[in-house]
Order: sequence, then C-alpha cells, then structure tokens
Amino acid sequence: MRMARRRNASEISYGLVMGGLAVLALLILVGPVLVVLATSFTDSRSIRFPPEGFSIRWYALLLDAGRSRQIHRAAGNTLQVALVSAGLATLLGTAAALGLSRLAGRAGRAADAFLMSPLVLPGLAFGLAALMYFTLLGFRPSLELIIAGHLVVVAPFVLRTVGASLSQLDPALLDASLSLGASPLHGFRRITLPLIAPGIAAGAFLAFMASVDNVPVSLFLSSARTDMLPIRMWGMMESTLDVRVAAVSGTLVLAAFLLMLVMERFTGLTRRMRG
Amino acid sequence: MSGAAALAAAPAGRAAAPARARRLTPWGLAAPLGLAYAAFFVAPLLMLVAVSFYADERMTRWGLDQWRRFLLDGFHWKVVADTLLLGLKSVVATTLLGFPFALLYRGASPRWQRVLLFVAVMPLLTSVVVRTFAWIVILGREGVVNQLVLGLGLAAEPLRLLQTELGLVISLTQIEMPLLLLPLLSVMARIDPRLLDASASLGASPWRTLFRVILPLAAPGLAAGCLLVFASSTTAFISQSVIGGGRLVYLPAMIWQQAMVVANWPFAATAAIALLVSVSAVIAVIAYAGRVAAGHAHG
Amino acid sequence: MSLAFPRRALLAGAAALAAPLVMPRPLRAQKGGSLVATTYPGIWDDSFREIVAPAALKTKGVEVEFQALFAVDQIAKFAASRGAPPFDAFVLDPGPRITAIERGMFEPFDGKKLTTLPKLPPQLVDQWGAGCAAQVVGIAYNPKKVPKPGGWDDLLKEPWVSRLGLTGFGTTFGTVSLIELAKVFGGSETNVEPALAELKKVLPKIAAVGTPAAMPGLFQQGQCDVMYTNTQTVMALKDRGVDIEFATPRTGAVAFFTTLHIAKGSENVEAAYKYIDTVLSAPVQEALTRPPANLVPVNKDVPLSPNLPMKSLDEMSGFVTHDWAKINPLRGGWIERFNREMAK
Repeated sequence: MRMARRRNASEISYGLVMGGLAVLALLILVGPVLVVLATSFTDSRSIRFPPEGFSIRWYALLLDAGRSRQIHRAAGNTLQVALVSAGLATLLGTAAALGLSRLAGRAGRAADAFLMSPLVLPGLAFGLAALMYFTLLGFRPSLELIIAGHLVVVAPFVLRTVGASLSQLDPALLDASLSLGASPLHGFRRITLPLIAPGIAAGAFLAFMASVDNVPVSLFLSSARTDMLPIRMWGMMESTLDVRVAAVSGTLVLAAFLLMLVMERFTGLTRRMRG
Repeated sequence: MSGAAALAAAPAGRAAAPARARRLTPWGLAAPLGLAYAAFFVAPLLMLVAVSFYADERMTRWGLDQWRRFLLDGFHWKVVADTLLLGLKSVVATTLLGFPFALLYRGASPRWQRVLLFVAVMPLLTSVVVRTFAWIVILGREGVVNQLVLGLGLAAEPLRLLQTELGLVISLTQIEMPLLLLPLLSVMARIDPRLLDASASLGASPWRTLFRVILPLAAPGLAAGCLLVFASSTTAFISQSVIGGGRLVYLPAMIWQQAMVVANWPFAATAAIALLVSVSAVIAVIAYAGRVAAGHAHG
Repeated sequence: MSLAFPRRALLAGAAALAAPLVMPRPLRAQKGGSLVATTYPGIWDDSFREIVAPAALKTKGVEVEFQALFAVDQIAKFAASRGAPPFDAFVLDPGPRITAIERGMFEPFDGKKLTTLPKLPPQLVDQWGAGCAAQVVGIAYNPKKVPKPGGWDDLLKEPWVSRLGLTGFGTTFGTVSLIELAKVFGGSETNVEPALAELKKVLPKIAAVGTPAAMPGLFQQGQCDVMYTNTQTVMALKDRGVDIEFATPRTGAVAFFTTLHIAKGSENVEAAYKYIDTVLSAPVQEALTRPPANLVPVNKDVPLSPNLPMKSLDEMSGFVTHDWAKINPLRGGWIERFNREMAK
C-alpha cells in the first residue's frame, strides 16, 4: 500500500518535471521561429516586432527575379555548395565513422579527436588560413574552394551522429549474417545500413544546414562571382533592416516543411527513424 | 562490414571490386576523409600554428612574443575560462530541456513524431542573421518576455536579459538544441520498448527507469549531442557578440578583433589555437571521465 | 531495396549540380577592360551594382564586378592572398586605409589620369587613391523617446545614458566618436583614457554595449534610443520607417572620407582608373546622393542633400577630422582596454 503510494508520487513528480521541461523545450525551439515568421509578414518597411499589418509583399519582392537577382544568385551558389559539400561529407564521414567504430584504444580515439577538430577551430581562423594556403598553391577563390572548406567544417556532424548510431549496433548481428554466408556488402546493406540510416540522415541534414548558414569560411573563400547567401543577408540586415532577410528564413521553413511531407510519403523517414 | 567500403570508396573515385573491398581495414575506411582533411584542413592549421610564432604584427621575425603575451596575461585566461564555462552551461541547459523533449518524442505517435522532428530542426532553418534579431525581440527591454513579466505584474521594471550571460545561454539553448536532439533522437528511437516495460513491471519507478535503463542506453547519442553543442557554442561568434554584447568577452570575438580590426594575425592565430586546444582538452577530459565511469558500471 | 532510388537520384542530382563547377566560364571582353572592385555590403553594394556598373560600361566600356566586403574584411582577404590580389580596387575608411598603406597593398595612384580631377577638392586625391564619398559622424537618437542631445558628454548624462547603445573601437565611426568623447573630458586624438574612465562610472546604466552589426536591430526594437553613427545610416533607417534623427554635437560633427584605391599587383590598372573616374563623375555622384544610397558626394558639381548637416562641401572644413596615422598604432591597445573595462 505504502509502496504503491510512493510509486504514484514518483510518477506524478516524473510527469510534472519531464512534462514541464519538454514544454519549455518546445517553447524555446518554436518561439524565435514564430517571431521570425511573424516579422516576415509585416507591412512595414523594416524588420520590426510586433509586425505592422499583414502583407506578403516581402515574399513577392524576394521572389522577384529582377529586384532580388543578387539574392537568387547567392542562394543558388549557397545551395550548390551545401548539396555538394554535405553530400561528400555524408559519404566520407559515414565511411570514416564505420572505420573508427572498429578501432579501439588510444589510436582510434586520437583519430576521432583529430577528425572532430574542425568543429572546435574558430571559423574565422580557419577561413583566413585556408585562403592563405590555397593562394600559396596557386588557387583563386572559387566555388570549388568553398566546397572544400565547407566539407572539412561540416564533416564532424556526420561523423558524430553516425558514430552514435553505430555504437548501438550489435556486432553479433553482422557476424551472424556473415557466418550464414552473406557477403559483406549484403551484410552492410541489409543489416548495418538500415540500422544506422537515421544517424546518417540526421548527420547529412546537420551538415547541409551548417553549410547553408556558414559565414566565416565563405567570406574568405568566395570571389565576386561566388557571392554566398548568409553574407549577403548580413549586409541587408545591418544597413537597412531589410525584411527580405526574414522572408528568406520563412521560405526555408516552408521548404523544409514540404520536404518533410515529401520524404514522409516516399521514403518513410520517421518510420525508419523509429526502426 | 567491410562491404561498406564499396559504398564509401566508390564516390571517392575508386571502383572497388568486392575482393579489394574486403581487404579494406578500419583505417582504410577512415582514409578518404583523412585525406580530405590532410589536403584541406591540416595544411591551413599548420600555417596557423606557424603564424602564431611570428613575433610581430607585420610577421617579419619569429619569436614567442605572442604566446608570451597571451599566456602571461590573467585577462586572457579569464576569457578562456569564460568561453569554456559558457560551453558547459549551454550543454547543461540543452540537455536539461532536450532530454525530456526526446522522451516526449519516444512516446509520441508516428504523426506527432513527425511534427516533433520538424520542431526539433526548426532553429537550423532560420538563418543566424535573423535568429539573433528574433532573440533581441524576445529578450529585449521592450521584448516579449518583459511584456509578459510586466503585464502579469511579476516585476516592476523590465528585466535585463539581453546582453547578459543568462540571455545568451537561453538563446544558445535554442540555437544548439538541434545538434543535441538529432543524434539523441536517432539513438533513442532504437531503444527496445520492451526493456522499459520490463523495468516498470519489475516495480521500478519512472525515475529509476530513466536513470538505470533509458539514460545508459541513450548515452552514445547524448554524448555525441553534448559534444556538438559544447564545440559549437564555444565558437559561436555571431550569437556571442550580438546577443551577448560587449560586456561579455569570449575568445572568438577577441580573435575577430585581433585578426580583422587590429590586423594582428600572430596574436589572433595564438588565440585561435588556444581555443582549439582548450576546448579539445575539455572534451578529452569529459570523454575520459565517461570511460572511467562506464568501466565502473561494467566492473 | 528502398534506398536504391533516392541514392541514384541523389547522385544524379549531385552530378547535375557539379556540372557548372567544372564547365569553363565564358570570358566577356570589353574594350575598356574589366575588373573586380569591392564595395561595402548592404546599401553600397546595391547602389554600386545598380548605378556605377551600368555607367562604367556605358561611358567607359569597362565591365565592373562587385564583391561586397567590409573594409577590414578587404584588408584581411588581400593580406591572406598575397601575390594574387582577389580584387582590383578597394573601397576603404581611414583606419583600414592606413593599414593598407603601411603594408604596401596599393598601386601608386596618379590623380592626373582622372578626367574628374578638376571637380574634386584637392586634398581628396593623393598618391594612394581618391576619396569617393564623405562620411559625417554624430549622434543618432529616437525623437519619440529622448530629447535631442546637445553634445558628446550628454551621452553620459540622464536621460540619454540609460538609453545609450555603446560600440567600441571596432569601427571607424565608433573610434572617432570615443575620441571626441575623450576630448570633452580632456583627452585627445591619442589619449582616450578619459572617455574610458567616464564610461566606467556609468557602465551599469548604459542600455546596451553592442557590436556595430547589431545596433540597427537594437535601436529599432527600443533596446537603446541613442547611439553614435554616420548620417548615411540615419537616413537609411529613416527611409525604412525607423524613428531616428541625426544630431550634430556642439563640438562639431566628425568628417572623414571613404576612399578608392587600386590593389597592388592588379592586372587591370587602366580599367581601375576608369572605374574610379566613373564613381567620381557628376551624374554617378548625383545618383548616389539620392536615397537609398544617401552618400555625401565629393564632386563639386553635385548639390548636397537637404537632409545633411551642411550646405556645401566647403563647410566640411569646419568639421572635426583625425589623423589616422597616429590613431592606428594605438587602436589595438584601445580595443583591449575597452574589452577589459566593459568585461568588468
């Protein structure tokens, strides 16, 4: 009787504390995004909160091919760089995580720490040093250089998330499949890959967004022809509080929402995430 | 598992025959990324180290002057400590909020999981440029929080949140939360629900189940997330300087001032390496402590 | 094999995206040549692309591509790519200009090559480059929240001090404003200690100590209602509906020039002269004077905007100016001092 009561009390405290914190997490995650979305629909001439009136004119201006040409060009460059660098980072990072997961001991840990280090080096210092290095080799700033720089900076995200998924993997499963005569490739495809797919997807997404939002590396490795979006947005925000800056984020949120619906339909992302 | 090599090696430009793939060692799998790092990261890093050993701003002679200047000044040590502490505070705050969120996610229906996953990545979708503005709106003197606090009569004067460390940690919690949640959710989703049922049916309280069953099983994801949060909040120059303001000095802002405004690259390089080393050291110490703790648990 | 389709699609997509990277870019040849010039991000970038680029092409046959970079970013980027200039022409404020001169980043400049030379005040053209716009720095305030401040020292008194948005020595306008504040309390161009000492006394009251990039947002949202900045920023924000006015301090507004320079090692020196000549020509200067650019013109044929605190360029000789060759060597130390004082 007393035990049941104690359990009841602990269940209530657990629900209250965990529920309360989860709600706070939701508020903190969503709040700023709602502010940005609200601001993007303002009718005023500058970013302001609370917004004045309701208007989609900033979205119309953002999509206007003539008046927002530079933004479109920068967005194109940014997307291209993010897709290629995050794509490469996902492939190389997943392979490296697979390798590292089988390395025990000091050497493996050292390799792991080394591969994580770009995350810890301030982007500004890396951007400057990379520009010095590439110039020394005779390269001029270009999209290719930005991709190379971003690849290094975003790969740790893939490495960490895939590494975390792999540490859950039971090696016995794979051994069983191999001992039953399956080829290693088959074993990887049928056992490892499905199990770590959520980790790969999470890492790829983090890598992609880290590239899209990168300022310092892009700043130093871009040329007049390879204008990048976040840098352009800084200029717009700082000098005129341009509402299109908020509209860019609104567009991204909408795009991600649609992408999520599409992925859900076609590949069942969350289904795999649940296993 | 070496079949993975086939998939990994192919994009690197090598047509991997299965026989060859089978020979690929763990080091072989890590090699393509290692080579990319060697080409694009190690060399710039070495140049940075070299630059830090120039004695003067104009980079004409070698010497330890910049290192001496950095290390022999208590103010710089304080800045390093503040930067690392900021990282730790962000980790604690994101974990405190992120873990319950992950539990909520675990227990939700597939449809709600979809919604929660979308919510979890939302901060990444709003550019850093406008996200900082949103935090000005929320934490500012005439901001959302203060309107609420004043409206409810909880305070007579507007609270000072913006440009305080508390405000900065709150905003970093949002900005860095996806870095914690994505690895954590992908690991949490794999925990066998039967284990939790078993724990409950054996009479364990939910708290006990949390600490004895869920937490150990989710540890790899949590550790990965914490590492990402720590590393990226210690180097988050834009958030630190815009939301934190000039009263809070962290190492990335100092590096920016020295490299860009003063054009003193040797000192900036010294500070950048100091940041790299100190953040890596904290991560290594925590990882070591984790291994020791795990060893105890198993032994 | 549910993963096969997206993977193949992904690879195909990646290949399609990578294609433009490896394809050679067409080279367009203009009879007047072509060059890459820097411009400041934001309004400068927009107006130079819209006004200067077409004018240079039309009147001189020069094709200009712009790269938007702040002055300090231009210096850092140029220094990092030593031997291979990433652009042909700089646009700089006085502080970075001195750094660039000291580190040999400019080609020698011959003002006689400019057709606009007779129209420019003589002190604007020297062996390093030519001024293209004046900047006037003073106090900006929100007229709906605070009364008009009269001088720099008002910033440290109520009601302004508790509404003050402070920035440090990171920008040109911040540096000159703090120098002027120091002068009121007995300091000088080379001694800002009095300003730091006075600021320290009122530090807890100051509404915001911000990075320059954050100031427009902080001002717009009412976090601060007074700050120091240039007339161009005030007009740009006013154009956007922000409640902001410019006040000339009683000790005088500060004036300095934004200058154009040819990058050392540029292979397009002749085109660069033509570009600079275009920027200084009367029609372009006049266009740049209008909103949203709101530049203060340097060509004598161009009338000043009625919003400016002076009627003619000549009046600017009465404004406060500074010797950046003296300021630059001290600035690093000031920045550190500011950090230490603000961080308590």
